[in-house]
Amino acid sequence: MADASGSSADKSVQVKLVLLGEAAVGKSSVVLRFVSNEFQANKEPTIGAAFLTQKCRLEDRVLRYEIWDTAGQERFHSLAPMYYRNAQAAVVVYDVTKASSLEKAKTWVKELQRQANPNIVIALAGNKVDLVQPASAPSPTPVAESEDEADDATATPGEATGEQPESLRQVPREEAEAYAQEAGLLFFETSAKTGEGIVEIFTEIAKKIPIEQILASSRGGAGRAGGVGGRTGTGSQQGGVNLEENAAKGKDACNC
Amino acid sequence: MSTISTHLRNFKEPTREQLNLLFFSLPIDAETHGGEKAASGELERMEISAVLTLGVQNIEDAYPGKLYLIPPYLAFSSLDRKSVRFTIPLSTIRRVERLNARAGIYALSLSLWHNTKIVVQLTSLRPTADLFCSLLRDALKAELNRGQMKAVKSFIETCYSESLLANIESDNKENAGSKADSGSTDSLHLGGLGLKFKYPGDPRKLREASKMKLWTTYLKTHGRNLTLLRYPQYTRLVQVGLPNRLRGEMWETLSGSLYLRFAHPGEYERILKENEGRTSTSTEEIEKDLHRSLPEYPAYQSEEGIGALRRVLQAYSFRHPETGYCQAMNILAAAILIYMSEEQAFWLLQVICDRLLPGYYSPSMHGTLLDQRVFESLVHKCLPILYEHFTAVDVQLSVASLPWFLSLFINSMPMVFAFRIIDCFFCMGPKVLFQVGLTILKINGEELLQVQDDGGFIHLMRNYFASLGDSAHPESADPRARAITRFQELLLVSFREFAIITDEMIQNERKRFRGEIVHSIESFSKRSAIRNLKTLHRFTKDQAGLIYDALFKAICIEPPPAASLPPPSLLTTKDSPEERPETRIGLKTFRVFLSEIATWARIEKIVSNGFQQRVEREVAEHEFIDRIFSFWDTDYRGSLSFQDLISGLDGVMFNDLMENIEWFFNLHDKNKDGYLTKDEVLTLSESLLFIFRYEIGDAYLGAVSRFMSNAFEYGDALLPRPEGSDPDDDPPPLESNQPYINLATFRMVVLADEVLESFFESDFASTFRLEPVPMMEMPNANTSLLGGLWDTLTSSDNRKIFNRLTDEVGRTIGKHQVYHRPAIGKFATLEEPKARESLLTPTMRRSASKASLRLEEQSTPRVDIPSTSKSAPANLNVPIRGEVDKAEGGLSPSAYSAMPSMFEAAATAAALMERTPFAIDDAKDDEDDESEDETEGEDDGVMDEVDAFLEAHDSGLTPAEQELAQDLIHAEPVK
Repeated sequence: MADASGSSADKSVQVKLVLLGEAAVGKSSVVLRFVSNEFQANKEPTIGAAFLTQKCRLEDRVLRYEIWDTAGQERFHSLAPMYYRNAQAAVVVYDVTKASSLEKAKTWVKELQRQANPNIVIALAGNKVDLVQPASAPSPTPVAESEDEADDATATPGEATGEQPESLRQVPREEAEAYAQEAGLLFFETSAKTGEGIVEIFTEIAKKIPIEQILASSRGGAGRAGGVGGRTGTGSQQGGVNLEENAAKGKDACNC
Repeated sequence: MSTISTHLRNFKEPTREQLNLLFFSLPIDAETHGGEKAASGELERMEISAVLTLGVQNIEDAYPGKLYLIPPYLAFSSLDRKSVRFTIPLSTIRRVERLNARAGIYALSLSLWHNTKIVVQLTSLRPTADLFCSLLRDALKAELNRGQMKAVKSFIETCYSESLLANIESDNKENAGSKADSGSTDSLHLGGLGLKFKYPGDPRKLREASKMKLWTTYLKTHGRNLTLLRYPQYTRLVQVGLPNRLRGEMWETLSGSLYLRFAHPGEYERILKENEGRTSTSTEEIEKDLHRSLPEYPAYQSEEGIGALRRVLQAYSFRHPETGYCQAMNILAAAILIYMSEEQAFWLLQVICDRLLPGYYSPSMHGTLLDQRVFESLVHKCLPILYEHFTAVDVQLSVASLPWFLSLFINSMPMVFAFRIIDCFFCMGPKVLFQVGLTILKINGEELLQVQDDGGFIHLMRNYFASLGDSAHPESADPRARAITRFQELLLVSFREFAIITDEMIQNERKRFRGEIVHSIESFSKRSAIRNLKTLHRFTKDQAGLIYDALFKAICIEPPPAASLPPPSLLTTKDSPEERPETRIGLKTFRVFLSEIATWARIEKIVSNGFQQRVEREVAEHEFIDRIFSFWDTDYRGSLSFQDLISGLDGVMFNDLMENIEWFFNLHDKNKDGYLTKDEVLTLSESLLFIFRYEIGDAYLGAVSRFMSNAFEYGDALLPRPEGSDPDDDPPPLESNQPYINLATFRMVVLADEVLESFFESDFASTFRLEPVPMMEMPNANTSLLGGLWDTLTSSDNRKIFNRLTDEVGRTIGKHQVYHRPAIGKFATLEEPKARESLLTPTMRRSASKASLRLEEQSTPRVDIPSTSKSAPANLNVPIRGEVDKAEGGLSPSAYSAMPSMFEAAATAAALMERTPFAIDDAKDDEDDESEDETEGEDDGVMDEVDAFLEAHDSGLTPAEQELAQDLIHAEPVK
């Protein structure tokens, strides 16, 4: 995009990623965990899709994720193609405590494989795994908690208090993993609450993305964008600040 | 798991009258609920040319326009449709006087509740004006009788404007109204959460006090709430932003939700009470979103605000279960609740969702998609360079603009600004959204031309919205220019440069794209329905698509009961509200569906009347079809899903001979014990007769009668005898509902008969046809304008009239003929029934084929019967040309015709016959479906047997009914 086309255009690769999944599986929480500094984004409820960006360092490359966090409500389904078109990656989220959410995830995968970019990298993420882990699970960092709280509106009410590990689990890891393997997906069990597995999703996706290809195809675009001039001060200021912050946090988040 | 919705097909473009109601912010007819409206519905509406003059002060303005009597309202609009207008309930009119002005002038003076006066001069001819007055008198009387006049007082007391003016009158001396906000009576009047939690924005910056002052003057002069008149000054006042305390009431008045609240007192409370404790998919979804609806506003961090939001959204979802709840409604509701009470918000939400943004929040969101398309087209028209750039870099407008429309900019820009756009939206209608949207793009045009992808677009927009409070001309030397904010610039440009965007234009654009949107939504849901099938069985995706089309058409024609929605109040199981409801069809819809697929499940009449030949198709009803319905309903739910239909059809469409026999057997073996009872054998024969009802010739009838006699013969022979009894003795009597013959016996009986064997071998399967559902018959499918729907309707009506006419003429000149198209259509000639053994003699073969040949030569050249034919394959699907394979089994000595020529062949063949058993006589064409019975002219043994059987089995008939049936059978054809 235009704002990115400054100094770092040569190094960063832009990857469009879309989050899909049934309502209330924690899509927004997953993104928030990953893009931690976009905290105030929860002020905007997801209408259609929320748009966030985050940088992620992979070896000597910097990936810039453009994340489209879609609305989960069933009736927004018909809008989804607008967001997953041209996406290079997708994270399909389900809730390990809700069997039906995996079914919905499967239909999303099917749809993506049929309708989306043929080379799309799809990751399946079983979220809310903290609910099914023994109570001695790694204690969440305070920052993470406060972050989550704001966005927990999407989450099943009362989930945080359910303290019966394993019994809540409705989707066995093995089952989902087998499905993911069969369908050729990356697979993770995650917890947006504790942060478990979140960064891994994005780094594994980053490894699987044909970066060189994207780089080659986007060069032309970046070149054109490089010639931008005469934009108003206000516009670029805000964008610039945001990006800077993203970049800084991104390095922290992605220790790879 | 999917829902199939056909309601998009039922859309009708609003009529001129409805558009008028829309313009005057009145409920369109469909919206009015309950019986109380019925009375006023009978009162006549009328419009009349009139000139409105201000009845107060010294202003001499006169506005020519039109006065509308729309009981129970009176409305006026100036000719330009924007400078002046009013909509007032008749019940607020206290007095009507005919003014004694100069001669030839017919003027009325209306005194309104708020002591304001409207003077209208009726400029039409005298009789018209008299008529208008008498209608007005009737309407006023009706209102008086309804007691509405009394309701006005208590209703008006709920409006804040009343207290505002009252306060001013009382504190007039000391404090000219600037402290009106803190009046002690304030709490008695309806208000929103803002009263307690403060309104967004800085009141000083918003210049609340001076706005209040201006409004006070306006409301005093030109009426308020129910009696408000809109003069040009009014729009200007709205455009600078409504004062917070007055905003809620003004929104109500402008949008017309005030009239709904007035007409339905107490309804909001009642809905909540009636549905207390009820949960549904909607309520569950609402619950998830309550805490993320304007979460930064303090009220929505408290139970008070959350509770109000919950109740308003739930009440809406209960009142409109077909819409339920859609994300974004939470934002709207949360926003308006800041300014108005729950009840007010409930009705305003109603008006937004039903009238102002129709279809935006429906399950298919078709209104949203349509308006996005319209917006795109307007961008193309108004900002072509930008449009081309976006196309070139593949940026989709909707990624940014969809939330603008869906949540009225509330979550796109700072709330204070969004509310000002909403002020204009309620005042000037939905076109405001388009105007503002276009302006946003225009103002940012330069930068937008540099945008390379969706992400960049979003970013730019986000930054722009964040800067709306900044100066639009920070570099300007003129301090006045520097003071203009970017938001003011936005509004200014919107209303100045995009005034060309009118309601009418948007209506037309919607009309233009509706077909496209409906088509894309429908094909999207078709694709996902097929993708979501658990199994396609042996069908290809295309075939499944054809089955879907047939199902879709059936649902169009015979909509299933709304049972797919959770039944109200029964569903109080709090833990598991129904997950995504699935479309399931009942028996009625199933019949229509099957008639699309199976030839015997429809009645096709070929009507020729000398002018034209046409096929009339009706849906057949028979126990056989009902039986299949229950047979496929494997979960005993009394309804079938798309998956059930796929599975069911799979079970019958790919069968070979043995499988078909078994399928038929199982279908009739109701208790699944592996035996048919005697009753079931008879039912099965009836099923066969039903399938064969329009076949030409007696072959099938013969087969069925032989089947019956064989079945009973074998069945009796195989019955277990009491020990020691003589095997030649009659078996002991068996109850007709006892297990009688098993599958093996049934198979034997079927295979004993040539015709039945061939029927089960292939004919039956070939009666199932997956053919493209003709698009013509789908209402509105091939017209891009939805206005086309009406055309189609009228033209199909016209066609009916034309058909009736030509039929009449045809009848008088003796050319009118009606034939039923047979379901199998194998026999085009009259054939004597033959037992299998007799058919095997070569002489018979030859003579039979010769006989048919002769017939065919006369009848139709399109049917080729090889002269050397020794036998013909039983399979209808094999085209008969010169070469006939050596099929040993198939011996039906008859003419075949490929299916397409069936129409002609059947008609011509039948025409040749003096009397065809299963074609109705010329004179007896009056849709007499019992024509099967009309066969007694053909008195051969078979018919007697069948008649006897039918009579014996018709034990359900009362003697009287039997007599009637007999009469019918023996009735002379009407000449």
